[in-house]
Amino acid sequence: MLPLQKSTSTPCWLGIRLPHLALDLLTRGQARNGLPIAVSESIKRRELIIDCNPAALSVGVKAGMPATAALGLVDTLQVVERDTGAEQRALQRLAAWCYQYSNQVSIPADRNGLFLEAGASERLFGRPQTLGNRLGRELGQLGYHAMTGSAATPEAAWLAAYEGLHICSAGHIRQQIGPLPLGRLQLDAAQQLALERMGFRQVRDLLRLPRKALTRRFGPTVADYLDRVLGIQADPRALYQPPETFASRMDLPAEITTSQALLFPLKRLVEELCGVLRGGDTAAQSLQIVLGHEDHEDTLLELGLQSPTQAQARLMTVLRERLERLRLPRPVREIRLEAPQLLQFSAGQHSLFMDTTAEQQQGIEQLVERLQARLGREAVTGITGVEDHRPEYSWRPRTLDEQADCTALAHRPSWLLPKPKRCTIEDYEILAGPERIESGWWDGRDCRRDYFIVRDTHGSTLWAFHEYKPRRGWYLHGIFA
Amino acid sequence: MPQNSTISKLLSTTPQLWQGHRANHAQRTLPTGHVRLDARLPGGGWPLGAITELICAKPGLGEFSLLFPTLTNISKQGQWIIMIDPPWIPYPASLHGHGLLLEQLLLVRTHQEKESLWACEQALSGGRSGAVLAWPERISFTRLRRLQLAAENSGKVAFLFRPENALDAASPAALRLQLEAGGQRGTRINVLKCRGSRPVEPAWIPRPYAQAHTRPIPNPQAPGALTQPVAGTIQLPASTAIN
Repeated sequence: MLPLQKSTSTPCWLGIRLPHLALDLLTRGQARNGLPIAVSESIKRRELIIDCNPAALSVGVKAGMPATAALGLVDTLQVVERDTGAEQRALQRLAAWCYQYSNQVSIPADRNGLFLEAGASERLFGRPQTLGNRLGRELGQLGYHAMTGSAATPEAAWLAAYEGLHICSAGHIRQQIGPLPLGRLQLDAAQQLALERMGFRQVRDLLRLPRKALTRRFGPTVADYLDRVLGIQADPRALYQPPETFASRMDLPAEITTSQALLFPLKRLVEELCGVLRGGDTAAQSLQIVLGHEDHEDTLLELGLQSPTQAQARLMTVLRERLERLRLPRPVREIRLEAPQLLQFSAGQHSLFMDTTAEQQQGIEQLVERLQARLGREAVTGITGVEDHRPEYSWRPRTLDEQADCTALAHRPSWLLPKPKRCTIEDYEILAGPERIESGWWDGRDCRRDYFIVRDTHGSTLWAFHEYKPRRGWYLHGIFA
Repeated sequence: MPQNSTISKLLSTTPQLWQGHRANHAQRTLPTGHVRLDARLPGGGWPLGAITELICAKPGLGEFSLLFPTLTNISKQGQWIIMIDPPWIPYPASLHGHGLLLEQLLLVRTHQEKESLWACEQALSGGRSGAVLAWPERISFTRLRRLQLAAENSGKVAFLFRPENALDAASPAALRLQLEAGGQRGTRINVLKCRGSRPVEPAWIPRPYAQAHTRPIPNPQAPGALTQPVAGTIQLPASTAIN
């Protein structure tokens, strides 16, 4: 008998650590690391710096120093208090973003990072190491500092992420994490301190202890944790489910004064959105962008597309046009981007050589979006006929998804003047006519006219009428161009 | 170098002939739908991916109806016709009457010269087929050049309707035609410039009513008389007027 082919690959978890998440949320709107920014947290009723950007580091700001001391070092330093709620929301967004690479994404409750199962998608995205590097790079483009590592269990992957290790077969976990310092383990501070006092320095020192001895000293928690690291005990994780809507928000500690400078942070937000769209196999057709100002009403930008998309370039083209026309009433302090509805996405097929109708449609939709973003919605329309005998009421603008409906009158002129223009008929030579048009008694725009095709002295062929009602006289109404 | 006068004459008057060292004989074209005009144009039609200028002293000389066969074809192939800031309102019943599919017609209104040119450039640069029509009042050589470049990157046919003062200005357009009222023979089309060959003799395109004789001006004081069609009146569909 042939051996059964393995239908499922061995699980391999990627641990994604976001050690600077609090800071990243403040700095990712900045194109350059110009302003010194630090994050503080109140620990035991003292406001302490927990992280800062290179600009702040270079003037001597360090994690652990009191906020007041840091402010004393440099007066341009912006100290922002840590917002754990914002961090949680960011993790939710990033989980949705990661969903494009795996359908098993999990958000750990006790730390800033994500777990992602990479074994099942190996054929699509390559080995865990390849995917890990890619995630690190792409998250970097979104403005997040990420470190990745992989192992057969989530907890071991987390430890591996500190060192950029990729341990994929379960047997090696013990060996690979052994040399790590004890501080890397997810233990609480009291346990950590107790272990250090006992003379343990490395993870391997702890792994040598029999389970019984560990349980006696620390209760079952430490032993259970180590079992989960090694894969002796199962570690089921609550899996993340992609959302129905998308909302993100970016604070700008260094306020933005020109609409062009908004492009950089917006690009990051749109990039994040597009990752989420790819993840959920969804698409967005409209976006709402709210620009928050200090002491001023928010500026609202609404972007509407002709068809749902998940293409970043397409959204950015439309956005760029809108920004070009935008006047900021005040500097921008925050940006919120929302896609109120995520729609089912169906990728259009592209042909290489043929210009198919579907492609034509896509091309025109994107053109209309660009034009409307800059010129306004009503500036770009189609045209259709209206059942009315009076030529000036026989047309109206049409939206592009509407059917055009019209009677065919080839003997009429191709162009109508926006308004009939009074004329002296003696200046013209009559070529054909009359065609009587009488109508409108029911809506008070009663009229009776005889239309003639006429020619002026330059040889232009025009459409003129003699009106009996409501006013008598000769008018020009069209051009046979 | 002495030139054979017959050969050089043939070369300069026959667009279908070209000399090997001339690179642009491979100009892709779209038939105009007028046999006599096609015969005068290099490649036998409107140049694709290039600007065509239609210069007309006054509107109403047949400059737009000249395009009906082309535009109708384009619309029937599901391609788009984009009109940027037409100075008047396109009459749907008439366009439809000439076979143009209104579903494929896009109108852009900008109310500003600068925006109008921008829209034109956008319309030209996206997509690989279709037509773009614009009516720029004034347009600099550099702007025209930008439009021409935008057109070159697409496979569209682009028509610019231009006033008479455009005659004196240099233009990077691939084809420039001047339209004149030509009396009984219809519309006279002078080829001012065509890339790939030297300007050729004018073409004549018949115009409806070109041969109509002057009629007495109807007396507006006697409306009853007007309802009697004069000789040579166009045939009207029965449904056009209600009494």
